[in-house]
Amino acid sequence: MDFLADLFKLLVFPGFLFVVNFGLFLEWVDRKIYARMQHRVGPPWYQPWLDTIKLFTKEDVIPEKANPFMFTFLPVLDLAAAVTAFLYLPFGGFSSVNPFPGDLVVVVFFLTLSTLLLFLIGWYSGSPFGRVGSLRAVTQFLAYEVPLVLSLLTPALLAGSWSISTIKIVMAQNLSRFLPVTLLALAVSLLSLQGKLLRVPFDAPEAETEIVAGPLTEYTGRRLAFIRLAERAELVVGAGLISNLFLPFDKVLGMLGFFVSCVVVVFGLSVLRASFARLRIEDTTLISWKYLIPFSALGMALAIMVRG
Amino acid sequence: MLEKIVALSRKASPWVAHFNSGGCNACDIEVMATITPRFDVERLGIQLKGSPRHADILICTGPVTGQIRERLLRIYHQMPQPKYVVAVGSCALSGGVFHGCYNVMGGVDQVIPVDVYVPGCPPRPDAIIAGIAKVLDKMQEDALSKDGREREVDHGC
Repeated sequence: MDFLADLFKLLVFPGFLFVVNFGLFLEWVDRKIYARMQHRVGPPWYQPWLDTIKLFTKEDVIPEKANPFMFTFLPVLDLAAAVTAFLYLPFGGFSSVNPFPGDLVVVVFFLTLSTLLLFLIGWYSGSPFGRVGSLRAVTQFLAYEVPLVLSLLTPALLAGSWSISTIKIVMAQNLSRFLPVTLLALAVSLLSLQGKLLRVPFDAPEAETEIVAGPLTEYTGRRLAFIRLAERAELVVGAGLISNLFLPFDKVLGMLGFFVSCVVVVFGLSVLRASFARLRIEDTTLISWKYLIPFSALGMALAIMVRG
Repeated sequence: MLEKIVALSRKASPWVAHFNSGGCNACDIEVMATITPRFDVERLGIQLKGSPRHADILICTGPVTGQIRERLLRIYHQMPQPKYVVAVGSCALSGGVFHGCYNVMGGVDQVIPVDVYVPGCPPRPDAIIAGIAKVLDKMQEDALSKDGREREVDHGC
């Protein structure tokens, strides 16, 4: 029975099925907010699910120049990495599947892994657009990874721990004192998460007006569906991580609090997406090193001063 | 039951790729106008995709010129099955004012199979949306019928 319970955790809750469906729900929230900001009605709530089902029933094409093994294997691994990251997040009153001191680093590692897998996905697809997109993805990785980690470490400094559940408890107890201090880090982490998820204005790696679709150019059918699901799962992990560290509403409201804080994070990301145009790749790097990193360092300094 | 869900998903999530097969750009401007927030085609699930690999519907504008013929064929073969083609504008239908020119094929259907023709020079965005909506019904019917588009799976490219 133990084995079955573990399998249930991995595949249904809080594993694969929950992450994927919650990710598709957040995609709808994102698209709906984006549409409302453009004064549109936007897609119906079931749109992301139908998109996914359609992709799973389309023809599978492996291009001649692609590496067939990597072409099939990498999208699945990408989804697996993103879903595994979520297993280490406590949410809505549930503790994570395997809590241990230092799980913050593991979650960040899995998020990094899926970016590197995206690089490989483009590299092995045998398309020049895929390769250019891959190289841009790696260049952008140099831009946002440092500010993202620095800003995620600010609550960890305040709590004096690397364990997400401990940080969450400390932040929830001192929310009124700590939230103003972490606001700077919260802003930086939202911007860098936007870069991590390759969304406007940091979508140079997938710029469809320049390089078709970047790393995803050659992907069709269910492989594309896997990559898209992995992106949604990354969105869930990113939003869940920020909501755990900065906005631990679920200590008060339970599961609803987790949903609310994730939707708040996604709202911030959608506002960014709706209000800016795409940056060139060198501007992304420049903005990151000129502004994001100094501000995240400032956030850390503030945290150290407040903690005393 | 499963077939119905698949048919519905085909109908509700058409991703379009836009290809100018030698037109004068008027139809392209109208196609671009179609996907602006004013018409909100995302209500129908329509999204413009850069890569033909991701697309379900190919929107072609222009009489096919001799030079673009090979490219059009290649783009068409790169799309995964089931795939549909909408010809937009008089030129794409019959060659329009270029009909009979030495370098013009005279319509998209001379090169690849076309499902819906949208006449006009250029057609209004409403007409283009109506044309795509006609393809959507066809997509659903094909997904439900036994000898739909699935049979003509072409390998290559």
